[in-house]
Amino acid sequence: MTPYLSIESLNVGYGNTRVLNEVSLDVARGELVALLGSSGCGKTTLLRSIAGFVTPESGAIKVDGRDIARLPPEKRGTAMMFQSYALWPHMSVEDNIGYGLKMRSWKKDAIAKRVGEMLTLLQLVGFGPRSVMQLSGGQRQRVALGRALAVDPQLLLLDEPMSNLDYKVRIELRHELRALQRRIGITAVYVTHDREEALTLADRIAVIDAGRVVQYGPPEEIFHRPTSAFVAGFMGADNAIDVMRLPNGSLTADQVGGEKLRAHFRSDVAWITTERSASGDDDLRLAGTVTQAIYVGQGYRYRVRTNGADIWANAEERMPEGAVVSVVVPRAALLVFSAATSTRH
Amino acid sequence: MSRADSRSLARNCAVLGMTKSDATVGAWRAYALVGPALAVIAVFFVLPLAMSAVLAFRGKTGEFTLEHFDKSWDLYRTDLMFTIGIVLLSTVLIGVVAIVIAGYLTLGENPRAVAVLRWLYRWPLFIPFIVTGQVMRTFLAKNGMLNHVLIGAGWVEPLAAQSVLDWRGIVVAFVWKQAPFVTLLLAGAMASLETQHIEAARNLGAPRWRVLIDVILPQVRGTLLVGLVLSFVTMLSVLSVPLMINPNSPTMMTVDVAYRINTHGDYAVANALCLMSLVVAGFGAWFYLRHSARSFSQ
Repeated sequence: MTPYLSIESLNVGYGNTRVLNEVSLDVARGELVALLGSSGCGKTTLLRSIAGFVTPESGAIKVDGRDIARLPPEKRGTAMMFQSYALWPHMSVEDNIGYGLKMRSWKKDAIAKRVGEMLTLLQLVGFGPRSVMQLSGGQRQRVALGRALAVDPQLLLLDEPMSNLDYKVRIELRHELRALQRRIGITAVYVTHDREEALTLADRIAVIDAGRVVQYGPPEEIFHRPTSAFVAGFMGADNAIDVMRLPNGSLTADQVGGEKLRAHFRSDVAWITTERSASGDDDLRLAGTVTQAIYVGQGYRYRVRTNGADIWANAEERMPEGAVVSVVVPRAALLVFSAATSTRH
Repeated sequence: MSRADSRSLARNCAVLGMTKSDATVGAWRAYALVGPALAVIAVFFVLPLAMSAVLAFRGKTGEFTLEHFDKSWDLYRTDLMFTIGIVLLSTVLIGVVAIVIAGYLTLGENPRAVAVLRWLYRWPLFIPFIVTGQVMRTFLAKNGMLNHVLIGAGWVEPLAAQSVLDWRGIVVAFVWKQAPFVTLLLAGAMASLETQHIEAARNLGAPRWRVLIDVILPQVRGTLLVGLVLSFVTMLSVLSVPLMINPNSPTMMTVDVAYRINTHGDYAVANALCLMSLVVAGFGAWFYLRHSARSFSQ
């Protein structure tokens, strides 16, 4: 399949600071790709380079085979939705949505028709003549989306569009956005630092760290088979301990002779027991003491101090701080990386 | 103090654990603090203004009269129209120049050009009106620099060269002197706009000049208006520029006022002329207040 959006060896820097380093990324037509990373990793710069607000030092950005990397923003045919929505306060809802069409010299009645369609699509019927200042956060977000979609862009670029919303509204809009994107089949690039958002929304996720794409693939792959300790940590496997691989292939946390590795696991795959045995042979057992207990609704989350490091694990029952316990992690749930290179073992 | 006031004062005193007389002393102390400032304004500002207004309506024997206004109108109505015309035209041109410069400072993509422009445009702010008048005399005269350049470039025949030291000269001087002031205000307001507002428009296909007109200007309209009103009032009061560039009739009201006083010692007509200028300036103030009231209510 030929990619619709193709980013080739893109380099971006501000002064002496390198922001994007040889970034390459392909996006298929109709696909929604999430750029996931912590703040300052370069994900927004990548999006802004695609939109034309950042001029790359080298590399190509091709949409449908045409290199747009040196075009001014208004000639790129992309539509961006900003984190702050950037709705123009002096214009009504319909003027905001219709602005891109006005720039494309559409006739007034054609604009009105298209704006009407957008208002219906985004469940904003009746809001057309209102000032955008009178809208709630969720409604503003929809108007911003409508403004971007109205011009039927080649590419929809979304820069953390949910980060200013309440949790509940965010969850709702996330599903709506996903359904809408599927329905109209638009190609979209979505910047976020929220892994849950990336997992639920995207067809593919590009995890970015320090200006590089460190892993690119479907959500399941990123979640279950991270290729590096960084990705594992970012995707929630933030318990990390040094382990030794014994000659028979099993892992142990005891510092005995063997190959030194680093194992990551999610707190929800581990369980805590006060019993000494009763687990599969392959499971990793870590002895420790409970130092902190937090009630999280479905049960408790415990910080357990083990020999090597503090780890977090969940359990249903309540245990006092100071309790001596074992944390058991099934072998299959362990993500094991080379201690030296942090790459998947 | 009304009864309601005194009741609320008593209530506030009760809340603060003070007696009513404590509060009255506090209030007088506040008046005493603001007193000197009020006195300065009253003595040096309100009083002369009121005196001048009163004298404009007072005849030789102290009776009320409109005679000075009749005389002013007969002698100087062309100058009044001339003044209003010049100041209005200058205001419009200042607006255009300020929008173009501030717009480029905000949207310009060549960082060097923007830096040079930012450095250059403020210079006239530091040059007094009288010097501006002098500069323009040497620049716009028949054998001035402007004509030299035009003749040198072959755009004007040497014999066809003419002096621009008439109403056009005044307008050029006013625009040159006041445009940087409005630009300064406007560029500041534009810089405080959210960059994403501009980016959103460009992203949707708007070229830069459309962004300026559709997105930036409507959001800084208030600042532009304030700058233009202040310039309008300033230009009404400038004596040196019309005196140096175009002192002959028709000229501006300020020249007439100076003439009435210096040559004839005719304070009465001068006061009437001043009052007429004040009314014109009052229109600017009305415009300004109406706008600030509206933006306040928003």
